Amino acid sequence: MKLFTKYNRINLLTTIIIFLLSATAFYFVIRYILINQVDSDLKIEEREIETYVKEHGVLPEPIPVKDQKISYALYDRDFKKRKFTTDHLEGERDSFRVLQFGIVAKGNIYIATVAKSLESTDDLTMSILLISLVTIFVILLTFLVINRVLLKRLWQPFYSSLDILKNFRVDKKQSLGFPTTQIDEFAFMNETIRKTTNQAQQEYSLLKEFTENASHEMQTPLAIIRSKLDLLIQDENLSEDQSKNMQSVYSAIEKLSRLNQSLLLLAKIENNQYAEITSVNLKDKITEKLAAFHELWQNQNITVTSSLEDARVNLNTELADILLNNLLSNATRHNFSNGSIDVELKGRELRISNTSSERELNSKQMFLRFFSQDKKSRYNGLGLSIIKQICDVSGFNIRYSFSQQQHRFILSW
Amino acid sequence: MKVLVIEDEKELSDSICTYLANEQFVCERTFDFDSSMEKILLYDYACIVLDVNLPGGSGLDILKELKNQNKTDGVLIISARNSLDDKVFALKTGADDYLTKPFHLPELAARVNAIIRRKSFEGKNEIICNELKLDLQEKNVRVSNSPVDLTKKEYELLLYFISNKNRVISKNAIAEHLWGDNMDVADNYDFIYTHIKNLRKKLMQAGAADYIKSIYGMGYKFCV
Repeated sequence: MKLFTKYNRINLLTTIIIFLLSATAFYFVIRYILINQVDSDLKIEEREIETYVKEHGVLPEPIPVKDQKISYALYDRDFKKRKFTTDHLEGERDSFRVLQFGIVAKGNIYIATVAKSLESTDDLTMSILLISLVTIFVILLTFLVINRVLLKRLWQPFYSSLDILKNFRVDKKQSLGFPTTQIDEFAFMNETIRKTTNQAQQEYSLLKEFTENASHEMQTPLAIIRSKLDLLIQDENLSEDQSKNMQSVYSAIEKLSRLNQSLLLLAKIENNQYAEITSVNLKDKITEKLAAFHELWQNQNITVTSSLEDARVNLNTELADILLNNLLSNATRHNFSNGSIDVELKGRELRISNTSSERELNSKQMFLRFFSQDKKSRYNGLGLSIIKQICDVSGFNIRYSFSQQQHRFILSW
Repeated sequence: MKVLVIEDEKELSDSICTYLANEQFVCERTFDFDSSMEKILLYDYACIVLDVNLPGGSGLDILKELKNQNKTDGVLIISARNSLDDKVFALKTGADDYLTKPFHLPELAARVNAIIRRKSFEGKNEIICNELKLDLQEKNVRVSNSPVDLTKKEYELLLYFISNKNRVISKNAIAEHLWGDNMDVADNYDFIYTHIKNLRKKLMQAGAADYIKSIYGMGYKFCV
């Protein structure tokens, strides 16, 4: 729900309730005052009748006047009390205000009834009520329109800030430029966002730098360990056990340097160090890679089929190499002897599929760093995240599908 | 033949010299920019193994100075930076080869050997090792003058072995030499086993001695 929908809803509801309550109160107050007026008229009439009786000793002849009726009735007891009532009289359309009082004439006790029509009073009350209702309605409508227009205008800086924030990327080195606003709250909000995002960017780049530096610093010790191992195995007196241990150390070092290289590569891609884009002839590149992998596949008896159409893509050459190497390496090492690999380059799509005894990859996690389907994997789990990262920076889309024991990666651009 | 190793990391420099030092090479070492400059201006080397990051300056400046002096020393750059730009820049400046750290010593030795061969034989590129004769131009092998039909990888393997005669080469180093850095399949050593088996068979069938020895499954040694 939008803020001003919510605000309007509450505002409108309370305004309507208040207005209705006040209109009702207004109606009753007006009516009370008007009836009081009528009552005092009736009292004047009473006094006139009493004066007449005092002077003439008889009851005045009731003169039929519109809106006013006077009648007398004999009564057997003393009627002291004056009584005002509002009543519908027989044969009359409008309601009447009736005053009854006792009066003594020629020794007889009479009840005099003076009634005044309330027609004009009712009319007046109704029109006052109508006017106030119309006023309420007009006020509400104006409120609604003003709120809508005004709030929309007032919230404008908020929405433009939101739009700017939408384009914010923590890995891009651009500071957010918010338009200046006269409203303190929005200025404060923009300032806070600007500070927070700047800090996020700063910390992110520090982290990236750290990864890159850490990997760089690891290169030298790794190089030393490797070189010492290369020397150690020259020893003719190594026993078989020692040689086996040596092989384990070699493999571990190999894994570590590969891991380090992969991390360094990811950091470099993120740091935009492969920004130079050229038009790459993908068909030539793939043909070249297929030739390089050829002997490897022959060894494993993997059948490779390829159908390649001409395609040029805008890509960094180094990244193109790494991308294809990783894709083909994946298709090879997760394959089995006598398996097959199919490479198809068609239109704006590259499909690489391979047979494998492994089950379908978890498509939600497969591109995460250090993800591997089974924990004992020999591989470091960075291959797919490198592929994904390259696709992301190069504007490629990558999909994965699995059917009939075939793993398939589809790149489109 | 003299080789100069310019590398500020002493341990690494030690390893390189120990490995290279054999009957063929005399290894000299420097660890910083200034003393390296001095050495290269005073002496001639068959090959200079040059680190890029040195205390006091960049290895690339040493390379530029060499070229300015019209020196013909072969230069192998060793660097922790592995981007294509760095490689292209170093090669354009006049380096003969570029090797990324961390590397295997047999790889370094093979590259140093290749550089020295290119520099000294000038066109007549042949390696003779007993009855084996490798034509580096044509990339073919003869055993006692009769040709042996080797695949590209088998040829590379033989050349690698000959550049590291009488040294144990680990399977990891062989894998990396044959398949390179980027092909992330190198840790499957079955490939290497097959290649070596085939190479041995072909050479022996052609009448060569059995030079390639397996060392406890850890690596191989080309014994001459």
